[in-house]
Amino acid sequence: MNPLEVLAAEVPHLQHSFDPAYVIGSGSFGLTQYIFWMIICFLITLAVVIVAGKKLTLVPTSKFVNMVEYGYEFVRKDMGESAIGHGYQKHIPFLATLFFFILISNFVGLIPGCKTPTGTISVTWALALISFVYFNYWGIRAHGGWGYIKSIAPSGLPAPMVPVIWFFEFISMVLRLLTLAVRLYGNMFAGHMVLGIFALATSVFIQCAIATGNVAFGLPPVAWMLFLIAMYALEVLVAFLQAYVFTILSAVYISLATSEH
Amino acid sequence: MGEISLGIAALKLVGYGLATMGPGIGIGIACYGCCVGSARQPELAGRLFTNFIIGAALAEALALIGFVLTFIV
Repeated sequence: MNPLEVLAAEVPHLQHSFDPAYVIGSGSFGLTQYIFWMIICFLITLAVVIVAGKKLTLVPTSKFVNMVEYGYEFVRKDMGESAIGHGYQKHIPFLATLFFFILISNFVGLIPGCKTPTGTISVTWALALISFVYFNYWGIRAHGGWGYIKSIAPSGLPAPMVPVIWFFEFISMVLRLLTLAVRLYGNMFAGHMVLGIFALATSVFIQCAIATGNVAFGLPPVAWMLFLIAMYALEVLVAFLQAYVFTILSAVYISLATSEH
Repeated sequence: MGEISLGIAALKLVGYGLATMGPGIGIGIACYGCCVGSARQPELAGRLFTNFIIGAALAEALALIGFVLTFIV
């Protein structure tokens, strides 16, 4: 009984568990597991913000309210004020919603048995589309329709270069939609896949050690387990970092769209 | 036909691996610059970090395009 062969046979089952399986309904209408967990994350986000909002005091005393206020301050100071600058106040509700939803989604996925809603491309695509429409809307409001189209190319270029640079800047702007979506999806999906592989390797090697009675097979699971713990710690960091990166990039894109060139 | 499609699938993975190398080096250099800059002038660390994130996002876009191309080509 070779544990590596057993592991190779088990990996398709692991991949299959990442498919958007139906929780309710089937075929063309229903609720996949990712959307199911997305609704749960919506409800958690709503509950956290409403409960913290009800208990607001001038000097926060409860630990929970303090934590939520710290998160809000983080969005306001580190993302809004430093990335957008002048006139950042009106974008804070949007950025804070994005940050809290993505953060809670990523952390829910780290609990064993739960699925991260951001681990599917459709949810991250929707989030990226919301961000894309939002910063273009504010760009058009700040410059006017034609002014915004012109402002995509930086000013002060020699006249023959303007169409070329405009074209490349336009491609780069449309690619923001793709990169925002794929960055979040790729990081969460690949991270959970790596965690799954290490967890699977641990259990397969232990089973093989028990089945064959060979003590030498008992040593690798210890290493796999240590790797798993290290990767889990890294994933906790990545879960926070990806929420931060998504939000700060949205803030930077808003500032690029609305600023005067 | 099976071997050809397997070869194409393997080449996609090799291509994605090659596509990650450039952005990896680029983000490494950007992180180095950010660390050195904020060690010299800690008061600028916040703005440097924002610029680092923007630069890393631009470099990472190439790797992400490679990742997408493995699915769609």
